[in-house]
Amino acid sequence: MIRALFNVAGPEAARLLRRNLIGLGAEGLLMGLGFALLVPLLAALFADNAADALAWLAAMAGVLVIYAAVRYRSQLAGYMAAIGLGRGLFSRLGNHVAELPLGWFGPDRVGQVGRLTSQGVIDVVGVPAHLLRPVITAFVTPATVIALMFVFDWRLALAALVTAPIAALVYRWTGNLVQRTDHRTHEAAAEAAGRVVEFAQTQAVLRAFGRSAEGYGLLDDALKEQRDAGRAQIMTAVPGFAAFVLVVQFAFTIVLLFGTSLALGGSIDVPELLALLVLAVRYVEPLIMAADLGGALRIGRNSLARMDTLMATEPLPEPKASAAMTGAGIVFDQVGFAYDQRPVLTDVSFTVPAGKMTALVGPSGSGKTTLIRLAARFWDVDTGLVRVAGADVRHFRTEDLMAQLSMVFQDVYLFDGSIDDNIRMGRPEASDEDVRQAARLARVDEIADRLPDGYASKVGEGGAALSGGERQRVSIARAILKDAPIVLLDEATAALDPENEAAVQDALRALTADRTLLVVAHRLQTVQSADQIIVLDGGTVAEQGSHTELLSKGGRYAAFWRERSRAEGWRLAPERSAPTGHPNAHDPGA
Amino acid sequence: MAGPAKVKKASLGRLLAPVRRVLVVACLLQAISAVAGVAPFIAVAELGRVLLAEGPIDSARAWTIAIIGAAALVVRLVFMLAAGGLTHLADLDFQLDLRRRMAAHLGRVPLGWFTERQAGQVKKALQDDVSALHHLVGHAFTNMVSAAVTPLVSLIYLVWVDWRLTLVAIVPLLLGMGFLYAFQMRGFREKMAAYNTSLERVNSASVEFVQGIAVVKTFGQSRRAYQRFLDETRRFMDYFWEWVQGLLKFSAASEVVLSPLFSLVVVLGGGILFVSQGWLAPVDVLPFAILGLGFTAPFLTIGYAQNDMMMAQQAAKRINDLFDAPTLPNKATGRVPDGTRVVYEGVRFSYDGRVDVLQDIDLDLAPGTVTALVGPSGSGKTTIAKLLPRFWDPTGGRITLGGVPIDELPSAELYRRVGFVFQDVQLLHASIAANIALGRPDATMEQVSAAARAAQIDDRITALPRGYDSVVGDDAKLSGGEAQRVSIARAILADAPILVLDEATAFADPESEAAIQDALSTLAAGRTLLVIAHRLHTIVGADQICVVDKGRIVERGRHADLLTLGGLYARMWAASERAQAQPIDGAAEPAMGSEAAQ
Repeated sequence: MIRALFNVAGPEAARLLRRNLIGLGAEGLLMGLGFALLVPLLAALFADNAADALAWLAAMAGVLVIYAAVRYRSQLAGYMAAIGLGRGLFSRLGNHVAELPLGWFGPDRVGQVGRLTSQGVIDVVGVPAHLLRPVITAFVTPATVIALMFVFDWRLALAALVTAPIAALVYRWTGNLVQRTDHRTHEAAAEAAGRVVEFAQTQAVLRAFGRSAEGYGLLDDALKEQRDAGRAQIMTAVPGFAAFVLVVQFAFTIVLLFGTSLALGGSIDVPELLALLVLAVRYVEPLIMAADLGGALRIGRNSLARMDTLMATEPLPEPKASAAMTGAGIVFDQVGFAYDQRPVLTDVSFTVPAGKMTALVGPSGSGKTTLIRLAARFWDVDTGLVRVAGADVRHFRTEDLMAQLSMVFQDVYLFDGSIDDNIRMGRPEASDEDVRQAARLARVDEIADRLPDGYASKVGEGGAALSGGERQRVSIARAILKDAPIVLLDEATAALDPENEAAVQDALRALTADRTLLVVAHRLQTVQSADQIIVLDGGTVAEQGSHTELLSKGGRYAAFWRERSRAEGWRLAPERSAPTGHPNAHDPGA
Repeated sequence: MAGPAKVKKASLGRLLAPVRRVLVVACLLQAISAVAGVAPFIAVAELGRVLLAEGPIDSARAWTIAIIGAAALVVRLVFMLAAGGLTHLADLDFQLDLRRRMAAHLGRVPLGWFTERQAGQVKKALQDDVSALHHLVGHAFTNMVSAAVTPLVSLIYLVWVDWRLTLVAIVPLLLGMGFLYAFQMRGFREKMAAYNTSLERVNSASVEFVQGIAVVKTFGQSRRAYQRFLDETRRFMDYFWEWVQGLLKFSAASEVVLSPLFSLVVVLGGGILFVSQGWLAPVDVLPFAILGLGFTAPFLTIGYAQNDMMMAQQAAKRINDLFDAPTLPNKATGRVPDGTRVVYEGVRFSYDGRVDVLQDIDLDLAPGTVTALVGPSGSGKTTIAKLLPRFWDPTGGRITLGGVPIDELPSAELYRRVGFVFQDVQLLHASIAANIALGRPDATMEQVSAAARAAQIDDRITALPRGYDSVVGDDAKLSGGEAQRVSIARAILADAPILVLDEATAFADPESEAAIQDALSTLAAGRTLLVIAHRLHTIVGADQICVVDKGRIVERGRHADLLTLGGLYARMWAASERAQAQPIDGAAEPAMGSEAAQ
């Protein structure tokens, strides 16, 4: 644990941490020493030697003063170490995360990393700030007491020490026992949590199909199992805990009984025995206290382990200077790529000519989205290469590659700022004029007009104050302002209402005019107007050509086109008597 | 600072009522354990008295005391385990019971309640918040008993030994209380609040940093990407440092005063003084050296427990909020609907009780007809449709089914007649067969697969290794469109005569659009349909089209009539025709491109 702390601490924080640890050790020693002074003090007192007793008391008070000074210093060092650690962790994690390839940021990662870079750091900072003291002194103080007991009476010291190894063994044994039941309780808790989420998410269906809470057995079973797993854990943990406390207590019992027999046998001084008994009490208490701190330490340790994993994730290698750029084309050359060992693309080769529009079509899972992300170097290819503007994407610095690309993807993220701020991200140095122009082209001006503060209106965290279509329009305005020669577009699949749909289409037209366009296309109009269509299937290029070429081939694309045209003409409520000429390919209801 | 006594009684008391008796018993056991825990210390003191007594040592008495001391330790352990085991087991039952009650309550709140919340929030309440009460039930009360009984027993014994030295022994305790008071005076609460605010800002900056990273990198601002994150974290650490620095001397002093070494010096100093003055026998100092250190222990207990207590309190509040969510009134009258005609009469609706989002909605769904609701987003068309399956109840007017107001129907009766398919597919983590047969658990396998065939999904299911027994999410990984078709199969099997449908469902997954549409057509055939329509051309043949705008039905009629009317519907139709007709590539149709640029 402490080693892990040093691993993540920078040199400055490590120095402070070391100072803190030394201070804590000294604190524990002084505390033990102070307790040990009880022996001569009580001996003097019982021997009616007030002067000696007073002298020993003065010594004890002296220890207390030193203790207070050391404690102040080590507390200060602890806080300083905590703060150094926190600052260092925040900035190192931040730097590192900012360097990671975009492909690394899956939806579950985002949540994890978000927690790690906030609460996770706080958990680690809490270790030197609050937790190290009780843990370290809990061991150093009793060790000191025991060591000093040897000075006074080795037999009693040995008796007290006898149980220590047993206590350690029992502690480990209990830990193992609990860990084994931990698995079941975690499983049960995860299952129950999953069922609760399901219960909430499918509430409408559950009710509609007659399953109220009482009737929804899956949730109730999961909750019961959670209770039963907890029970099993308690039943396992209680004997272990009992054994640990018993063993630790036994140290005191032995000293008490053994000491009594020694005193009765006359082989030990009574005042000394009594003082040693008081010491024995001091020896036992902190150990039991320390057992309580395990949970808090575990949280810090887990956060540290996760940070280690995060820091071990390699960013993609980048050259010092970017290769020269020529043109605005994209070339996929025998590209192979696997995600989590699952092959997504194999041997994909085609060219996206500069200034032209290339559409990717194919069933879900055929690798369309992966392809356009490879062009933006979300990940590196496993085999082959991706060339953008004439050079391998791996030969560009991230900024230079990104400067060539505008990306409009389905999951639009807006920052918690104004509409103006969000558009301006595209080119921070742009004039107000340019920002307004981009907004007009993307029909964001209509949104701004509607809102009370116009362009200064806040969009809320993630853009929550705007509808999906509106967020898309803002993101397109951002891309228009950026004015990059290549546009990567993942067309939205979700249905928008007619007005928004029309507005988004207008916005996209403004963005893609005269640029190189690689688009994952869902709308038939988009596919039809492409200069080149790439049909992907099972991670390879199945067909390639223009709309008319591919249709006349009568292959996969032709089948796709027929199917989609039929879908386009679908009527939920067909015109039973109306004579209009809408295609109505399929209509079992008629 | 928060002890159970200061916790908001009303909310916690309400929650804890079922375990109150167990807690009382556990506290009694814990009290016995605490008394037994002091006994060995007293034994040492008494042993000293025997061993230091003038004359020959009474060894029998010495042994008795030593053995009582050792035995008391065992007693302490047994009672402690009994108390702890009792509270922990009770806590588990308490949590189960609480979760069940919460689930039962949630089963009765309006469905709309769930629409306004994320499933994650419900999970937080049912799982995390209930778990956060663990400290309260499992530890807090028994800990407080220990923290009170141990010093109290010590105090009584010490007073019995010598009341004057006892006064000296409690000096550190009084000093500690003084420090505590001073902490409060120094605006501890305010500082804590500022600390929490700063922490929240770090959290939100961190979320934004990670979530927005793609955007930031894309725009070539990687270096500036995390500026806000770094600023917020720096500000947080600065605040933390400033706070700690201001308090450091003070808190170090208070902790030294509360440390056992300080107590020891005070007690022994007093003892030596008392002995030298002849007020006390030397042997009587011994009990103080042993027990006088225990008075400040409760401070530690309270300190350690404080954070847990605070979290338990907040959790209890959230749980009670959940219980306070109003449930749908159950006015079952036993009246049986006559037929399946649905009528909305002067329906009004408001989410917040102030602003009406729907006004004067009159609607008549004749059996077997198709009614389409169209309108701009936010117009209220979805709300109108969702009132029928009781996602919410109207705030005015009424909805009748076969002549009976729907809030007088038991929910089973209502849902036997009203089915719905919305965009968000809701499949359970259970076998595909169980998912399809959700509404009719007694359905035969033939009926289930017939429904699946009708929903165009049978082929896909039988191709799975375990067929209909495959579990959704485990060995049945379904695409959006496939999941949608399973949910349609479910509705087909349930066979409700009235169907509320979101037309966007048909376009949820472009990859399997045609198959979903075929499934929907099969489902819709012959039923009374209420459709929320986005793509106007899919509902041109509806028996009635209701155009909703700003919470009112502004136009009503068949497609051709509405086009002739030249109002909102006609404008929407024109816009949708235009969007349908246009390709993206501006170069292909320069006329359109320049129009957009104007």
